[in-house]
Amino acid sequence: MKNGISILLSRIATPTRVGPRDFIIVAVLAAIAFAVPYFAGTYQQEVGFRILQLGALAAAWNIAAGYTGLVSLGSAAFFGIGVYTMAIASNAGLPIALCVVLAAGVAGLFALIVSPALFRLRGLYFTVGTLALAEAMRIFVVNSPWFGGQAGIYLTARAPKAYDLYWIALLIAVFVVVCVLLLLRSRWSYRMQAVRDDEDVASQLGVRTYRTKLWAFGLSGALIAIVGSIQALNQGIVQPNGGFGMSWTIDIVSVAIIGGMGTKVGPWVGAVFIVLLGEFLIQFPEIHLAVVGVVLVLVIRFMPNGIWGTLTLALQKNRNFS
Amino acid sequence: MTAVLQLESITKSYGGVRALDSLSLEVAPGEVLGVIGPNGAGKSTLIGVIGGALTPNSGTVTFDGRDISKLSSADRARLGIGRTYQIPRPFTRMTVADNVRLAATNSGHHISQRELEPFVAGILERLGLTPFAEEVAGKLPLLRRKRLELARALALKPRVLLLDEIGAGLVRSETEELIAIIQSLRTEVESMVLIEHVMDVISQCCDRTAVLDFGKMVTIDETPKVLADPVVASLYLGSVAESADAVVVDEDKRAGIRASLTSLVSVATSVPGTPLLAVDDIWVRYGGLNALKGVSLSVNAGECIALLGANGAGKTTMARSLAGAVPLTSGTISFAGKSIAGLRPDEVTALGIAQCMEGRKIFGTLSIEENLIAGGLDARKHVKAERLEAVYSIFPILKQRRKNSGTALSGGQQQMLAIGRALMSAPTLLVFDEISLGLSPIAVDEVYEALGAIRDSGVAMIVVEQSVDRALGLADRAMVLGQGEITLEGKPAELLADARLLSSYLG
Repeated sequence: MKNGISILLSRIATPTRVGPRDFIIVAVLAAIAFAVPYFAGTYQQEVGFRILQLGALAAAWNIAAGYTGLVSLGSAAFFGIGVYTMAIASNAGLPIALCVVLAAGVAGLFALIVSPALFRLRGLYFTVGTLALAEAMRIFVVNSPWFGGQAGIYLTARAPKAYDLYWIALLIAVFVVVCVLLLLRSRWSYRMQAVRDDEDVASQLGVRTYRTKLWAFGLSGALIAIVGSIQALNQGIVQPNGGFGMSWTIDIVSVAIIGGMGTKVGPWVGAVFIVLLGEFLIQFPEIHLAVVGVVLVLVIRFMPNGIWGTLTLALQKNRNFS
Repeated sequence: MTAVLQLESITKSYGGVRALDSLSLEVAPGEVLGVIGPNGAGKSTLIGVIGGALTPNSGTVTFDGRDISKLSSADRARLGIGRTYQIPRPFTRMTVADNVRLAATNSGHHISQRELEPFVAGILERLGLTPFAEEVAGKLPLLRRKRLELARALALKPRVLLLDEIGAGLVRSETEELIAIIQSLRTEVESMVLIEHVMDVISQCCDRTAVLDFGKMVTIDETPKVLADPVVASLYLGSVAESADAVVVDEDKRAGIRASLTSLVSVATSVPGTPLLAVDDIWVRYGGLNALKGVSLSVNAGECIALLGANGAGKTTMARSLAGAVPLTSGTISFAGKSIAGLRPDEVTALGIAQCMEGRKIFGTLSIEENLIAGGLDARKHVKAERLEAVYSIFPILKQRRKNSGTALSGGQQQMLAIGRALMSAPTLLVFDEISLGLSPIAVDEVYEALGAIRDSGVAMIVVEQSVDRALGLADRAMVLGQGEITLEGKPAELLADARLLSSYLG
């Protein structure tokens, strides 16, 4: 079946290797990023927060979509679960750290519950299924009596300062990166890629495909929910259209595709690009989305592996010829 | 002695078609069992049912005394059932070594990180894949993909190995290597089931051979007895069995086919001194690789050319560049005095070159009749109807099943459909690419009989083939491609007498 999803997936570049060097690079970059609030203003910290947030979301999404072939448009469901779990649990007086863990747990449980239905679908049908799931969640939250309806829920917890938020986001970003690197080092990495490339053959080689997909989808969703829980702290109020809104899904997908799906670095490159582009166009909100759309179309047409994928492919070619 | 693998009255239907019809079968420990039968007899379905990829409608599969009918294919792989696919399906974006590592780390045997690397290296070494270990599997040519299929199955440390047409598409020297590999596996794998059309593999590797037809067991016995069985000869082996009564020429049928063909082919008037097709010094480059390096050839009106060569020699690239499906890097192609380099495939077809592509390429969503019509869309309505009738009179089976889906036919019938579709454009030059690939011997007989009639009608032909004897029996002139260049050219009789022919395959 040659649909849009399989074409997108077929463009994912070369296999990824993870070595000690990757962890060192992450440590160095994290140390530099840690120092930012000491010499940068509130505005820069907010931009930094946004980059870390989008990068972590796209990197988490990439685990399921880029490596396992589960291209989900249901990220908003997991994000919203994170947002609402934080609101409800912190209002109940639980410590913030526990609320974050709880958000991840609820999201993982949610993945487990929806997987029997979703994993019956493959390729484009799976993608459409996740889209419907996220929308169903939003409507459920709007209409059920427990979540404050359209008006949402106010957080009673004290709003954190910009630098606190930035550091929390940095901590979570590093956590997501380390999760991805450890995953890619493990035997799950082959299993996930095998399921992505040919599920039937993978199964014939002993790979328990359902378990592999559930693991990737659940981990991806749990990490997205963690980022979502921080967004609740950032906003101070959670609402269905903000938490479960399509805009999160679209942001995540465009960041990952522009940066490079199925690559370690791509989501972060994409996040930097999208956030800086947004800041650059802040005076012109009316054309902002249009510009992002045009960039997305141009990247898909001319850089099918995304910015990072195209760069690494070019470097590999040079090495081969020299 | 109890059977390692036991199938009891397995039935598997697709829609109304029974691919397996209450089939029972036992594989003894230490045995290599061959399975042969016409295309569509249910052989691949059989492997799918044993491996767990397909769920039978009824019946049980027992492995080592345990009923495994309800187990998933992953669990069966972990118990020790390894299989290969007829068309290799490597994970194209993983490296060759990673493909093998995946199987090694998901088998039922625990393997520690320290044991893993030597184990993988050993398997790669054994199948001659060590130099390509870090290459992306998608870049491998067919023969190495087949070896990778086998390497992956072996990495499971299987007790039973199911090999689905692993010899298809290989030239003679490659087949000999394959036979050696299979024989060397006998000591470490308990039992094997081999589906093959390559009779050398069956006769040299299999202790017993089962013959299937329409999903039923025709016979199962020791291999020499089966191959000598006259029923098997008439059902499956055809002229390979070389019995006199297999070569009955029906003169009435021939005359009918000849008459039908007159409306289907355009016979070019031969102009002395100018060939119908002139290919001059063409180069084709894919990425960094030269697939064709300065090939020149000419085809005269009414001539039949055989184009031979090993896997990866550039034969299919040659066929595709004639069709306008791959861009030429340099060189010219002229057809009937016109340059066709740079034309689109549909423009080339309109000029009178029809392709019968490798792998048949039947439209599965279209009916047989629609598939045929798709081959000659430009013709006027009454011309189309006339050509359709002509194709039907050459291949009556297509008419019988004209409303069925194109892929519901057996392999041999699909190949007939592909030939018929190519004829629908009333071409002046026909290009046949790997027409015998994956067909049972008797189906190859039928297809080549049709090809002979088409040749006699006076249309020009290029026949790209692995099956040397068949192609040389048909052609007026033959060429051998080796690594993108023509290494040998001559009359079929001269080539058969020339020892260089074989060596150019090996190189």
